[in-house]
Amino acid sequence: MAGNQASRRTFLGGAATAGLATGLAGCTFGQVTGAGGTTVVQLAAASGSYQAQSDINEALHEAGMPRDVRVSISVVGSSQAQSQYTRWLSAGLEKPDLLRMDSGWTIPFILREQIANLSESMPDVAQRIKDEYFQASVDTVTAPNGDVHGVPLFSDFGLVLYRKDLVEEAGFDPSGWATSPLSWKRFAEVAKQTKDRTDAKHGFTFQAMVYEGLSCCDFNEFMTTWGGSYFGARKNLLENVGERPVTVDADPVVKANRMLRTFIQGPDDSGALEEFAGPISPSAVLTWSEDPSLSAFTNGDAVMHRNWPYSLSVAGAEDAFGTNLGVMPIPYGVRPGEAQFAGMGGTKSALGGWHVTMNPNTKRKDAAREVLRAMTRDSFNVALMNILGYVPPKPDLLTSKQARSVDVLGRYVDQLELAGQNAVPRPATVVWPLQSPRIAQQVSAALSGDKSPNGAMNDLRRILEDIEHSAREGR
Amino acid sequence: MATEQETRRAGVTVRSARWIENLSETQFAYLLLTPMILLMGVVALWPLARTFTMSLRADSLFGAAQLGQFIGFDHYVALLTGEIDAQLTRPFFDPGQPFRSALTVTFIFTVVSVFFETVIGFGQALVLDQDFWGRRWLRVAILLPWAVPIVIQGMIFFLLFQPGVGFLVEPLQSVGLFSSTPTASSVDSMIIVVVADVWKTSAFMALIILAGLQSVDRSLYEVSKVEGASTWQRFKTVTFPLVLPAVLVAMLFRTIAAMRIYGLIETVSSCSTVPSLSCLVVTTFGARQYATAATIAFVTAAIIGILVSVYIVKYADLEGGGF
Repeated sequence: MAGNQASRRTFLGGAATAGLATGLAGCTFGQVTGAGGTTVVQLAAASGSYQAQSDINEALHEAGMPRDVRVSISVVGSSQAQSQYTRWLSAGLEKPDLLRMDSGWTIPFILREQIANLSESMPDVAQRIKDEYFQASVDTVTAPNGDVHGVPLFSDFGLVLYRKDLVEEAGFDPSGWATSPLSWKRFAEVAKQTKDRTDAKHGFTFQAMVYEGLSCCDFNEFMTTWGGSYFGARKNLLENVGERPVTVDADPVVKANRMLRTFIQGPDDSGALEEFAGPISPSAVLTWSEDPSLSAFTNGDAVMHRNWPYSLSVAGAEDAFGTNLGVMPIPYGVRPGEAQFAGMGGTKSALGGWHVTMNPNTKRKDAAREVLRAMTRDSFNVALMNILGYVPPKPDLLTSKQARSVDVLGRYVDQLELAGQNAVPRPATVVWPLQSPRIAQQVSAALSGDKSPNGAMNDLRRILEDIEHSAREGR
Repeated sequence: MATEQETRRAGVTVRSARWIENLSETQFAYLLLTPMILLMGVVALWPLARTFTMSLRADSLFGAAQLGQFIGFDHYVALLTGEIDAQLTRPFFDPGQPFRSALTVTFIFTVVSVFFETVIGFGQALVLDQDFWGRRWLRVAILLPWAVPIVIQGMIFFLLFQPGVGFLVEPLQSVGLFSSTPTASSVDSMIIVVVADVWKTSAFMALIILAGLQSVDRSLYEVSKVEGASTWQRFKTVTFPLVLPAVLVAMLFRTIAAMRIYGLIETVSSCSTVPSLSCLVVTTFGARQYATAATIAFVTAAIIGILVSVYIVKYADLEGGGF
């Protein structure tokens, strides 16, 4: 027993020494060394920007960012950005200093006062944004009182890319497609016949994975060209939550579903749209987001392809299709005058694009402001157009000589301008994060044949009404 | 003065040392465990309590605040009655669509994957328990999948079943097993996720069961051989009863892990297609429904707790109450 007690004493002594040693080690190694002469501003953005980091810094320096400031990109995937930023900003982190935010979900951050108000801290820059930028883009970065909360970095509009060489080989003349939109019916015929007459595997590829891109953009686009809408008239898209009608079971929306189903399953399918050619799309579209669908197009497998402007600089590069790449606006289902809901119909492009906003807790406010200021210069917008294929968010700059002289993207400025004029936003209200996945699920079910287009849209209406209802109660 | 203080200090040390020395074995054990218990309380119990208090508040969709007003058990009621279903990525419980509601998906995944992992793991362990040339290489081979990170594992299976990329899509479609886009179909994706999980974690089962097998006293086999027992009889009366506690422990670990399935689903398919309980927590959290997320997280923890106690009771039965 005595030995046992002595060993207890030794044990306690040993434990105390070890604890003291660990504590001291913590003091010695816990020191932080200061940074060098340049101020590094951290910008959270997608991996594409990371790879172009040095070009971006050069462009920023040329646009007036002081030489002792440098931007370092920390990569946050586009699909994780929203929830990642929510976590960072809710926790009050001081880094990253700047955040690249999707125009589709910047407003909730503004309403929660989680990003800096530029109208207060940099009124001249805020005014320039209001004067020179696309109104639709500015709207998505402005608070209800009119204060600007970020710098639009680029605008995005859905477009159809196509292979001029294949279409001509099949006997079609694509001149005029650039600025006078085709009807979906004609479009499907061209895609089907070109596919049959050439060695292309698919007629038309797009993105229909169950993800935000389907509900915000691909389906939103196809539906509005048929004159349909998620919530009735266009003015309801960004307001009146809980009071607006849910119109996803209306005829134009069902028609858009049936058209896409014809594209995938063919004209003999039970859910097909009469007198439409098909099948022109592989069922793989149900698993594709932007990049996988683009690689199928650049591999030469498809005649037509729906994507964002970044894809133009990939597919239109010299080592890809070069001038054989044609670009046209999204085809239309009905003319604007025939649309069931006000503001819909005709060619429509989903409005995308990203802003750069400032973390209000940053310790490098002055440097971060210099970065934002440089980002509003024309020279920087044109440089980004060159480096990453980002469309300048300024209408005058987009059609300027400077922009037209940009390699690849400069060739398609007219199509971009037309798409910009016909941009339709996603209904990015506070309940959109709840509604978006449910829309994508039901549309996917209708396209895959799991449900009938009518049945899926009826189910969707009930779910969306439920969400609207709960939002009204929650308020 | 100084000496007086020193004496007093020395007196305190001596007294506490004596107090420690006079503790019984059990008391001393608890004394040593106290820091650990306190630490566990901070890192495990406090978050659980905090989650619970969060779940009693309303979601705050509109304001700058993270949570709304106190609403008591409203979220729990809404969750269990299905009132809240429309606000989740997929319903919490809907027996009408078992492959598209969280509770059923999680249970189906858990039961099927743990069953196959146990059976296959047991088989592998029995093989590895034998003496043969190259046994150590076979052990490594069986353990390899266990070393593959979840994301890589998910990508492997995602690509295997990606139309136009994976070689499995067309043959499985032509025999009518799968649709043309398995990773977009709830039933197909569930099967893929189960197969991926079994592929990876059977090795874990095998390892723990093998440890159990190796601790079986070899002389028991010799006795049964002398007694003329057949291989099946030997397995039934010697191997199985002795290895059962190890099997139960392995199953317990796997069940807990299976109930929390998330990463594999996100990489192979999506939470929309195969909605598990953890999926619902993550998606509601991402949509800033913090209170709803806390409610589902707490309910998930409670369900896991209930399942774990079933195992513990069973284990205690086997051990004669010594757990």
